[in-house]
Amino acid sequence: MFVTNQPPVDLSSATKLRIEDLNVYYGSFHAIKHASLLVPENCVMALIGPSGCGKSTFIRALDRLHDLTPNARVQGRVLLDDEDIYAPGVDPVSIRHRIGMVFQRPNPFPKSIFENVVYGPRIHGERNRKTLLAIAERSLRHAALWDEVKDRLDKPAMTLSGGQQQRLCIARALAVDPEVILMDEPASALDPIATSKIEDLIDDLKREYTVVIVTHSMQQAARISDYTAFFLMGELIETDTTAAIFTKPKDRRTEEYITGRYG
Amino acid sequence: MIAKPWRIQRVGAQAVLRTVTITMAAVSFAVIFLMLAFLVIYAYPAIRFNGLGFLTGTIWNIGNQYGSGSVSHNGYAAMPGAQFGALVFIYGTLMTSGLTMVFAVPFAILVALALVYRVHPALKPLANALVELMSGIPSVVYGLWGMIVLVPWISNSVGPFAEAHLGFIPFVGGGAGSGDGLLAATFILVLMVTPIMVATIRDVIQSQSETIFEASMALGSTTWQAVTRGVLPSVRAGILGSLLIAFGRALGETMAVLMVCGGAINIFPHNLFQPVNTIAAVIVSQLESALTDSSGMAQRSLAELAVVLFVITLSVNVVARTVLRGTDRDGNRA
Amino acid sequence: MRSRRVAGAIGALWWGLSVACLVAAIALLLSIFAFVALRGLPALRPQLFFTVTHGIAGGLANAIAGTFLLVASGLLLVIVVGIGSALWTVEYASPRAQRLMRFTIDVLSGVPSIVVGYFLYVALVEGLGWGFSLLAGALALAIFMLPYVSRAADLALSTVPREMREGAVALGARPATVVFTIAFPWALPGILTGLLIATGIGLGETAPLIYTAGWSNYMPTLALTHEPVGYLTYVVWTYISQPFAKSHALAYAAAALLMILVFGTNLVARGFVEYRFPRSQRIH
Repeated sequence: MFVTNQPPVDLSSATKLRIEDLNVYYGSFHAIKHASLLVPENCVMALIGPSGCGKSTFIRALDRLHDLTPNARVQGRVLLDDEDIYAPGVDPVSIRHRIGMVFQRPNPFPKSIFENVVYGPRIHGERNRKTLLAIAERSLRHAALWDEVKDRLDKPAMTLSGGQQQRLCIARALAVDPEVILMDEPASALDPIATSKIEDLIDDLKREYTVVIVTHSMQQAARISDYTAFFLMGELIETDTTAAIFTKPKDRRTEEYITGRYG
Repeated sequence: MIAKPWRIQRVGAQAVLRTVTITMAAVSFAVIFLMLAFLVIYAYPAIRFNGLGFLTGTIWNIGNQYGSGSVSHNGYAAMPGAQFGALVFIYGTLMTSGLTMVFAVPFAILVALALVYRVHPALKPLANALVELMSGIPSVVYGLWGMIVLVPWISNSVGPFAEAHLGFIPFVGGGAGSGDGLLAATFILVLMVTPIMVATIRDVIQSQSETIFEASMALGSTTWQAVTRGVLPSVRAGILGSLLIAFGRALGETMAVLMVCGGAINIFPHNLFQPVNTIAAVIVSQLESALTDSSGMAQRSLAELAVVLFVITLSVNVVARTVLRGTDRDGNRA
Repeated sequence: MRSRRVAGAIGALWWGLSVACLVAAIALLLSIFAFVALRGLPALRPQLFFTVTHGIAGGLANAIAGTFLLVASGLLLVIVVGIGSALWTVEYASPRAQRLMRFTIDVLSGVPSIVVGYFLYVALVEGLGWGFSLLAGALALAIFMLPYVSRAADLALSTVPREMREGAVALGARPATVVFTIAFPWALPGILTGLLIATGIGLGETAPLIYTAGWSNYMPTLALTHEPVGYLTYVVWTYISQPFAKSHALAYAAAALLMILVFGTNLVARGFVEYRFPRSQRIH
């Protein structure tokens, strides 16, 4: 059964992601309970909630990352442009072409900056060096990192600062040309200056991509997102436009969180 | 995206890797079972021929190769006069390894404690490296040193000394003989087994030391008390596990023991200085002679010996791993 | 308080004893080193490397070549099986299968080397009629080295950071791709160290080879079966038992060479791997 407590979406933008009655179990622990959500195209959707409420678990389910965890079970449907990514016979690799992910702590590979960015295109078969360079430049520009690294593409990625590494990871995700970008607290490990650079970036990205971002900072959600969804203890409590959530929350629990009653 | 992914990325290649690796894993897994099964099957005629007397008999005799006729038990035949009793070797194995552990365990613990608490931090890497170097020495080299240095020393110095001053202690007095025997074998084994234990015990102590040591000192104990009553008990499992593993190694040690044990056949050592023999050493020293047994029973009896040793070391190892399983790598309760 | 002083004094005695034990251990170690060095190094003349053993003395050429051949062949076998099975354990096995695999490998590491040797003697040398041979000896060493290599590879592959694997998967990498592009490069130093340590052990082993490789006074051919192979540890064992000074000299020379090889391998394991793959170049 498909239930949502989300107000009607602006019909001029299509729905990019539709999550219907998603349940995630770790062994017998019911981590995500009957979550349903609509994510419009080319918007930024923020997922907020106190720590441990399941936002990370939820967003990882959108990329089929729980496939990697032996005792995790996922039930429900996640529709990307009306195709269920969990349908039997679906190749997860094809999903991951279209949905990219950036993680909480920057996780560059111990390779050069260039090799990091073109990792995705390379394993998917691109051999031509010139094409790869073009992809690298395009992605790095899009991630606002090109000017800082264009002269040292062959240097190890580990020599970059934390903020630069995270932008590198974003460039890396962009290089496979996805349609949706998932971000799991991308700036939480970074200093304020790096954080604001990332936030500017996200604002820029939504023009071409659909962005879903988990954040533990309500201020960040308020700054950058168009829509916000509030999670509590594995349940999706409320979803609305960001303005509405923060000024006129409909659920008492949402209001309590926003006014600071939960950690 | 592009239609032709990297060769490894193609679904076919994925399946190949999975198949190859699972085959390799199956091989690794099967090796130990294969060995045991094969040896048991090969030794079966000897098992039937020797019966329980194998474990209780003290005579190892391949029989009269030139006589006529043959001796037969339970349907299996050997040369007349043949009997295979392994008690001397089983006794020797357990005695040397047991005695080794009696000395090696306190020795290893003391050395480990010295390494952790008494060595100047600047010297620690060197000291640790030296102890680990000991575990790299090939066993024939230990045997060589044992033959040329240790055995004469026992014969010329330790033996007479013990005779003169400690002769009243039952197992010690009674004459030194040529020096090779129980004491020599035990000494060498202690040297070989200690480095293994020291490495583990030292790691295990170090991991628990800060928390428990300081807590204990804060309660007013001396440093020695802090260590023996605080830190050591907390790493009991790790010490026990490493002890058992070392015991298993001692049981199976071949060359070094072979070179200094004196090669006793059919006699038990009556004191520390008399010749002794272990199963492992016997398997090596007796093979040539066993090959002359035209009935083949001698070879199969050696295989039976190998099975006995296998079973003993296997049991010790399984117990050791089970003990260690309840702990993480540092020997703490997981 | 008196009891505290007594306790302190007792403690001091025990600490003294512990240091004495440490000193004794190191002294014995140095004594063995000195023993081998003093008697063996002078006997290590260059011509030893070019003559084979014959009669009561001769040179070490056949033994050296045989040792290298046996250890190299054993390594070849163990690299495939050991790393392969570790790979399966880390990448594909369920948690239960992992436990079972690791337990079995650990138990295998406790099997006495003589049992391995005798098993192969009965099965291959006699059973399959191979006679003393290179392949039998290589297999004996491989079985003996397997737990060391497998454990080292298992450990190395297990320490690949989870976030790094996830990053690769999120970009669309399949399991085998993650293995070859991320896991192996990361685990390589650990695997190499494991291989080098196993080599050191293989160099020093005798018991498994006595009944598989046999002994030969001639340079080894590359024949896999029906041709026995000589090796250094055998020289130490048999030539010291001869009553001739020349034989003893050969035994000491072999012992010295063995020590050099074993410790050289160990040093390389520590030094070179650290140099080539400095820990500073990885994060986490």
